[in-house]
Amino acid sequence: MKRRTFLTSAVALTTAACTSRPRLNVYNWSDYVAPDTVAKFERETGIRVRYGTYESNNEMLAKVAGGNSGWDVVFPSAEYIGPMRDLGLLQPLRHEWLHNLDALDSYFRFPPWDADLRWSIPYMHGVTGIAYQRTLPTVDSWSALWDARLAGKITMLDDPPEVLGACLKLLGYSVNSREPDQLRQAQRAAVEQKRLLRAYLNAEARDQLVAGDIAAAQAWAVTAGQAIASAPERLAFAFPREGFARFADTMAILRESRRIEAAHRFIDYLLRAEVSAAIVQATQTATANAAALRLLPEATRENPVLYPSRETLARGEWFEPQPAALQRLRDRLWTEIKSS
Amino acid sequence: MNRLRAWFLAPSWALMLATLGAPLAIVCVYSLRSRGAYFGVEAPWTLENYTRLWDALYGVIVLRSFWIAAVSTALCVALGFPLALFISRAGPRKNLYLALVILPFWTSFLIRTYAWMFLLRDTGLINTLLQSVGLIREPLPMLYNSGAVILGLVYGYLPFMVLPLYATLERLDPSLLEAAADLGARPLDTLWRVIVPLSAGGIRAGAILVFVPCLGTYLTSDLLGGSKTVLIGNLVQDQFTAARDWPFGAAASLALMALAMALLFAVRRKGEDLL
Amino acid sequence: MRPRLLSLYAAAAFAFLHLPLAILAVFSFNASRFTVWQGFSLHWYRALAQDRELMESAVNSLTIAAVSNVAATIAGTLAAYGLWKRASPWLSSGMYLSLVTPEIVTGISLLAFFEWAFRFLNLRLGMHTVILAHVGFSLAYVVVVILARLRNFDTSIEEAALDLGASPFAAFRLVTLPYLAPAVAAAALLAFTVSIDDYVITSLVAGVDSQTLPMVIYALARRGVNPVLNAVSTIIVAGLGALVLVSERLRHR
Repeated sequence: MKRRTFLTSAVALTTAACTSRPRLNVYNWSDYVAPDTVAKFERETGIRVRYGTYESNNEMLAKVAGGNSGWDVVFPSAEYIGPMRDLGLLQPLRHEWLHNLDALDSYFRFPPWDADLRWSIPYMHGVTGIAYQRTLPTVDSWSALWDARLAGKITMLDDPPEVLGACLKLLGYSVNSREPDQLRQAQRAAVEQKRLLRAYLNAEARDQLVAGDIAAAQAWAVTAGQAIASAPERLAFAFPREGFARFADTMAILRESRRIEAAHRFIDYLLRAEVSAAIVQATQTATANAAALRLLPEATRENPVLYPSRETLARGEWFEPQPAALQRLRDRLWTEIKSS
Repeated sequence: MNRLRAWFLAPSWALMLATLGAPLAIVCVYSLRSRGAYFGVEAPWTLENYTRLWDALYGVIVLRSFWIAAVSTALCVALGFPLALFISRAGPRKNLYLALVILPFWTSFLIRTYAWMFLLRDTGLINTLLQSVGLIREPLPMLYNSGAVILGLVYGYLPFMVLPLYATLERLDPSLLEAAADLGARPLDTLWRVIVPLSAGGIRAGAILVFVPCLGTYLTSDLLGGSKTVLIGNLVQDQFTAARDWPFGAAASLALMALAMALLFAVRRKGEDLL
Repeated sequence: MRPRLLSLYAAAAFAFLHLPLAILAVFSFNASRFTVWQGFSLHWYRALAQDRELMESAVNSLTIAAVSNVAATIAGTLAAYGLWKRASPWLSSGMYLSLVTPEIVTGISLLAFFEWAFRFLNLRLGMHTVILAHVGFSLAYVVVVILARLRNFDTSIEEAALDLGASPFAAFRLVTLPYLAPAVAAAALLAFTVSIDDYVITSLVAGVDSQTLPMVIYALARRGVNPVLNAVSTIIVAGLGALVLVSERLRHR
């Protein structure tokens, strides 16, 4: 009798211990929060957070598409919100649980990809341009990356929409072009460029820019900003005159999540001005949070790389999701570019 | 004896079915489906993924992959054999040397690859040294080409050659070597005509363990090749990530596996089993 | 003459193997994060110690490697012995196939298989799926190494044991297994190495609780040169090196 009581109470206590502390599983891009962001949230709310990271939207999608990945909050890029919604992967957001929504910049309060913020909340944003060595003559066009004099010292991003986007812009088309003919021209331009290309690099380009191995690179503003911060006299960033791509990463909750309230609390926490400002200080990304911006030093707010003028931004285009047939064509063209 | 053998094989059968058989069946199914719009597979059934492989574009990739894998394997044999020989003769220090071989490979492969990038870059250590000594004026392009990929592969897979070779050489009967010496053979002759043939099993085991992963490698060619040197592994990897064409990736990888299997059947000796 | 030449070669080979590590170690003490030496500092080691994610993932990696290692070595040794006794073309082909399959394919197909199985099993991705995957791909390595050694085994010794009245299992346990001991050790070493370094397959079948060291390292490394990685690598090498030295001392007692 005594043994049974002991066992049952032991089991009861253990289960109680396991379920007493609420949890939350957050799946984010790597290097997208400050070192103490999550810990502070845990201390404040008593919710234990499991924080995982991924390197690409496709990686994240592969894990969550099954509908039982275990993650609650994810950070898809803006053009993935539509597809994920259509696949039934997202939970509609309850704005009554998000008190800090007005911290968002007025533009991002009603973004083109999710105007009523039903499925996602903008987090960070940026543009794609050209990072280059100042020793080069003025760089202001995508054609700089096709310059034969820079052979072996040019890099492009290892990202299909970005590479195709740059080629399309070079030819004067939209990054979201839906004309197969235009896309094929873009593919040919990319294949032509391969002879001059050093490599397809994403964030690794930063160190090589600083070291001088790369003369000109297609780069995200974040990467360029970090490189320029390390070598301000030698490096610069250009917003090509033909136009460029804009991107944004957003916060969303998966439909499979059973911790919806905790998830909303986390998102609300990230919307807080001081939290967002701390993240920006750590990651040097451009935030969609206007309240946070006001807390940041002027040098950060005026950084032309991360926060360019409105006229400059007007040349930018947001990536849009593509219809299935065109997505297939684009992906096939990417395979052909890589294989040649 | 047969009962014992059945019991001994049972766990492996179960494991193979769960981690290879069923997943492989799924890959076969995938290769016959069409790709989903953003992700995954969907109806209808099609053979298009296989017919697409016949393009000359992919033939070049296959040849390039085989070439790089073959060169890397040959280098591993050439570099690994003397090392394995040395260790097998090292007496009480054998395990120490074995551990020294394995030690680098317990650190992250990725970190080691980045170390090589640091060494091979235009402004990397090697070029800086060579330039400061005056041997060259312009930096040598040692990174982002096939040579760098082969170097990375040899560096990455050398222990997979050394360990099986060691396991075979260690058991070599020294009296055979004494007999050869007694019969007047010089050390080099003994090596070629006694040691190497006797360790053929180890060489083959090592060659399999090196060639096959080299054939399907993608991280090395991605990082050291600058994502430009597309091998079969990169092609397949791309299909499952950026290009989002799972069925084509499944077909390409089944083709790769078929090629490798055919190669192994061709290489195995009569009457001998695959492994 | 031969032994001298061989020793010289071995020294050069070991230098080649350890050069990148030495460089990493040196720069792990670099005050600056870039590849230009700017003074001695322990800054990166401190950063490493404070990185909760890294620490947790290291524990996960070791757990997974240890468990899958034991399972794969046992199953693989038994299987190699069984295959040596009498060939099984299907099992051998299966093992070979598991070596030939590109990791990305193994990973995606395992993910798909688990997702399908979970419809009936009410489980989700986690440590168990990662361990199963690791045992799966380590198995073939173990079998290949042990079979290579078995081929040089003189069966007459085992037969003698059987003639003297031993059961087949006893013959295996008391005669063959001791002979196989070095190969088992080599195979276990190989399996552990393969498991602890795996990124592709693990990242695909990992669950919420199974972030491993390679996954964290890959994320860090993708951002460029990060001396925290140098610190990780140096600690691993130093720790393992110490372990090796200690075990060597103990053996010679």
